[in-house]
Amino acid sequence: MKEFLGGLQILAQWQNFLIIPLGLIIGIVVGAIPGLTSDLGIILCIPLTYGMDPTMAILMLLAIYCGGTYGGSITAILINTPGTSANAATLFDGYPMTQNGKAFKALQMALFASTIGGLISAFALMFLAPLIAKVTLLFGPAEYFALAVFGLSVIAGVSNNSIFKGLIGACIGLFMATVGIDSISGTTRFIFGQKKLMAGIDLIIALIGLFAISEILMKSQYNPKTDHKTIKASEITKDKITREEYRRCRKPIGIGSLIGVIIGATPGTGGGLAAFIAYNQVKQSSKHPETFGKGEIEGVAVSESANNGACGATMIPMLTLGVPGDGATAILMGAFMLHGMIPGPTLFAEQGNILYAIMIGLVVVNIFMYLVGNVFTRFYANITRIPYEILAPIVLTFCIAGSYSTNNRLYDIYIILIFGIVSYFLRRMDFQLVPILLGIVLGPLAEKNFRRAMVISQGSPSIFFTRPIACAFLVIAFGSLVVFGLRGMKAKKASAALKPDAK
Amino acid sequence: MKIKYNKEIISGAIFTILGLVLWFLIPSQIPTRETKAINAQTMPRIAIGGMVIFAFCLLMEGLFMRPKQELVISRESFRSAGFKREMKSILYALFLVVFCFIIKPLGFVPSVVLLVIAILLYYGARKWYYYAIPLAMVGVVYYVFRVILHISLP
Repeated sequence: MKEFLGGLQILAQWQNFLIIPLGLIIGIVVGAIPGLTSDLGIILCIPLTYGMDPTMAILMLLAIYCGGTYGGSITAILINTPGTSANAATLFDGYPMTQNGKAFKALQMALFASTIGGLISAFALMFLAPLIAKVTLLFGPAEYFALAVFGLSVIAGVSNNSIFKGLIGACIGLFMATVGIDSISGTTRFIFGQKKLMAGIDLIIALIGLFAISEILMKSQYNPKTDHKTIKASEITKDKITREEYRRCRKPIGIGSLIGVIIGATPGTGGGLAAFIAYNQVKQSSKHPETFGKGEIEGVAVSESANNGACGATMIPMLTLGVPGDGATAILMGAFMLHGMIPGPTLFAEQGNILYAIMIGLVVVNIFMYLVGNVFTRFYANITRIPYEILAPIVLTFCIAGSYSTNNRLYDIYIILIFGIVSYFLRRMDFQLVPILLGIVLGPLAEKNFRRAMVISQGSPSIFFTRPIACAFLVIAFGSLVVFGLRGMKAKKASAALKPDAK
Repeated sequence: MKIKYNKEIISGAIFTILGLVLWFLIPSQIPTRETKAINAQTMPRIAIGGMVIFAFCLLMEGLFMRPKQELVISRESFRSAGFKREMKSILYALFLVVFCFIIKPLGFVPSVVLLVIAILLYYGARKWYYYAIPLAMVGVVYYVFRVILHISLP
């Protein structure tokens, strides 16, 4: 209770109430522009938060995350292109509603459902995270190492049906995390004679290179004449959601939010999966399943409540265990670290007040999201009209300035461009970048605690199997790798079997 | 000349070779004096060893379990739309490489302005405001970083 009140006091500063709407507007705009994602928005804005206090900085980034997840629904509804992968399920009914002349209604429902999902998720975070954190205070080096391995097993869920590519990505990340001076022995590692590499590769530099520059390069084959879809503002009519429609959507929103929280709290999943599962669940239990996919407002409600329902919940494993639930939370975890907060079991004990300020702040973010979203609904059609050829150089300018500002040196600009070109090649080879990021973020945690645990056990690896919590995490990690690996193989076989039929 | 390939073969082969090279570089790149079994070389060995093993598995998967594409290398293939698309991407990456060389002598604003113009020309932008907006943003970014954030850009 003391920490809760302390958090409330930190949050009550007026600057926070200015930065939240600003973050939301950035998030909604970035999410609504196809080709830009909330992940990219967070990465580009991290350098702008260097001068802010941690609460303000994290609240701004959280607002971008939530706003971006909602903003992605705008293009899904208006131009049949989801702004982020989390909004893919919104396409099913969102775009048909626009075709039926109900775009405004769909946008309003997306906003309402996103807000409710986000609020339920924020409350779940506020009540569950401290309880889990109490248990995790009992952890020693063996448990921390097992936790890091468990975190790395998330790659199984984000490897796009190729477990080997995910594992190679994680190894690349782990390798990159070792570059620089070893914190335990002081030995230099893989610096190739470059003194500037002695401090290692900064997380923000890696993030900008991996995600932002590679995204810009992926869009290098973009054709402004054929790839740019728009909608006129006049096509967004003004018909509002009726009471009857609100009443019908209560259950789908409840189911979506609940599934969003459960799926979001499971590492390696994320809002996209939550939206698909929730959509399927509501469609199957509906009295009129035939209307789904043809402009059913319940379809928009369930998918948007589910993907925003996952937003706060993905932070539960991140804040309590130091295990990011998906790509966005891995980036947010990096932002926490940059502001001197190391997510994991000790965070609640050391910086409880700030954490409560952030968790309560997430509730405020969702309330503001409804207000900001309502004000700008009619403006959304204009966002879709921004040509990508204007955005690309602007994003690149931010990337260059942001990377330079990290350490005030040109060397970092060279590194982001090298990372970007290598990541572009990896993406073309169907590699996912999240495993690399997980390797970079969790590598130091894994290494430090592995070595400490081995010192405690006098070189015997049995310490990881005789301590029940460590053993449980390792078993779950191994189990998830096997399950996701088998699922990936099944999916591959299924798609291979479908191909001849398609021909 | 005909080549049968898939993405798994290419990436598997590249990472197997890269991993092996890095593995043999470990003693020279991590000159540890620790005598314990677990030392500064342990984690890099796990990461690089894992990379080699998984890359080799990926290579085998590509060779024996995945369907392959056939690439016929002839004069015609250099004129194909696919080849031109790839060349466009390489040109874009080349802009970034050239930028690395010019930023030090020219400084932030002139080099980024040149990069912005190159990208806009690359996308075939013709309207004046397509140039005006990103160029104005370069000035805004410079101002925000220099004046508000007190970060002197090069």
